[in-house]
Amino acid sequence: MTMKRLVFGLVAALTAAPAYAQAPAPVPGWAVGRPEGSTLAPHAARMTVTPLDQVPVGSIRLPPGFQAEVFAHGMPGVRAIAEGPNGTLFAGTRAIGRVYAISRNPDGTTRTRTLLQGLPQPSGLVMVGNSLFVFAVNRVLRYDNIEANLDNPPAPVDLTAAFALPTEQEHGGNHHWKFATLGPDGRIYTNVGVNCNVCETDRDKFALLVSFNPDGSDRRIEARGVRNSVGMAHHPVTRELWATNHGRDWAGDDAPQDTLLRVRRSGEDFGFPFCLGDWRDPQYNAGRNCSEFAQPAALLGGHTAVLGMRFYTGTMFPEQYRNMAFIARRGSWNRSRLAGFDVVVAHLDAQGNVARVEEFLTGFRNDTAQTFADRPVEVHVLRDGSMLVSGEQMGAIYRITYRQ
Amino acid sequence: MRLAGLLAAALFAAAVALPAAAQDAARGAAISAERSGAAISAERRGAAISAERRGAAMAAERCAACHGENGRSAMEGTPSLAGQPALFVTTQMILFREGLRQVPAMTAVAEGMADGTIEDLAAHFASLPPGPPEDRRPRDEALFAAGQALIGPRNCAVCHLPTLTGREQVPRLIGQREDFLERTMIEYRDGLRVGADSQMNGAVVGLTDAQIAALAHYLSQRD
Repeated sequence: MTMKRLVFGLVAALTAAPAYAQAPAPVPGWAVGRPEGSTLAPHAARMTVTPLDQVPVGSIRLPPGFQAEVFAHGMPGVRAIAEGPNGTLFAGTRAIGRVYAISRNPDGTTRTRTLLQGLPQPSGLVMVGNSLFVFAVNRVLRYDNIEANLDNPPAPVDLTAAFALPTEQEHGGNHHWKFATLGPDGRIYTNVGVNCNVCETDRDKFALLVSFNPDGSDRRIEARGVRNSVGMAHHPVTRELWATNHGRDWAGDDAPQDTLLRVRRSGEDFGFPFCLGDWRDPQYNAGRNCSEFAQPAALLGGHTAVLGMRFYTGTMFPEQYRNMAFIARRGSWNRSRLAGFDVVVAHLDAQGNVARVEEFLTGFRNDTAQTFADRPVEVHVLRDGSMLVSGEQMGAIYRITYRQ
Repeated sequence: MRLAGLLAAALFAAAVALPAAAQDAARGAAISAERSGAAISAERRGAAISAERRGAAMAAERCAACHGENGRSAMEGTPSLAGQPALFVTTQMILFREGLRQVPAMTAVAEGMADGTIEDLAAHFASLPPGPPEDRRPRDEALFAAGQALIGPRNCAVCHLPTLTGREQVPRLIGQREDFLERTMIEYRDGLRVGADSQMNGAVVGLTDAQIAALAHYLSQRD
């Protein structure tokens, strides 16, 4: 297996080499290193409403005792979920430029509104008190007292200059969209993805997890050498920062893997572009010994596109899920057969090490037809202990409940 | 024979290009388990045809004046839409409606347009046979060759496919109006336009006006 993987990586590296030898090739970032003849390309997003009767909730498979229902729908491109103090859910998107607000009616049904639109990839949302922070590439907008103004959102306070995140141009159109979360220390944590598929880069500026005071001051590098994380959460007991991380493309179907990272100390280095775990990059290792870098907590499969992650802090699910990490895998494009399109659970032992990773929500991926019904992007634990899972492709949010 | 061919082409285009209702329904295991494959494909075909019909009626009213009765534009600066991938038309209409792409002539058309209407229009334009505008100028061999020579180095085929006919959200380029192609590439180069993402801004960076003119000529002359 390892040998096969190495050979595949080597072949990919050799076939990809000529692309690097050329003068700056204006090839799209995702295609840098694509071998001659490959037709693999990212899946197109759907930007129109999926009618309720076509939302594929019926294809969802869960462990015994769990049920899935459609919580909200009609929200093309729905991704990250943030919850206000009064229970309003806010959901971000990428290409369609919208932020949705979902409120719950007394009868348990939901009402969705398009709260904001016309923003550049507003995929990072975080609530701080009554304020909704929207991270749209490098723009950071704060909407105060938002839950009282869902029909008429106030003009935002523009914090873009204070956060001073790299622009889309500085990113060269690569990994510039954001995820954001509030730490137990009251700081906002976000990602600065790398400005390429794989390259030598400014490791103080890109491939980082960073945190800020909510006013944008006191930037701190929480982790370095993280290619692109679009999901983070703090452990409810240890308060350690955990994050999902995407491996580079075009180095083989199974290598490098997407990973789950546990940041034990602020500023740890996870090795991009030199290494990922014990995997040496075939082109950018630069003679570095992979043991000098922090190791991932778990390997989550090649190109599975690990996105949102949350620790389960509710009481509705069985005890074995308490404080375990639920991780959405949006699903692959950069491998010959589809992988991911599911939600997995990383079970931690008493020391906080990942003991095993299990499938939790499956059924979206059709291995025979090589098609997918939806792409899970975010998980969110509601106060009643049920779990929301956003489906970006079909613009729906699913709710997972448990009863014995 | 000719009618059958056209019908087959339209059905094929619709089946390929209409990812919306039809394919999604087919993907859902719970839904498909209840129906036979034949029933689904008949239903899909029926849905695609009615979407095209609705789209055709709407297009005659809202689009044809500028984009042409047959989807081939005779108006300078206005693109032909015949044979464009449905998802490309859909994506651009959404970008107009959401205010993410600013073209004054399109703002009013797209304002408040329902997703279903946009998908119908997209299905309609995808079903029309593509072809050059009637006022296409004669080929300038030198310019054509200069443009052709840039296709490889500029990696156009990576997204637009080696046939340059586009796929999904990526447009068909061949047979497009030369003036539209030229202006669009200049706008991408000068940062006056973005697409669904910034890939095209990168693709044309550093091109001279003359190189863009050559590319536009080559693409417009291809059939």
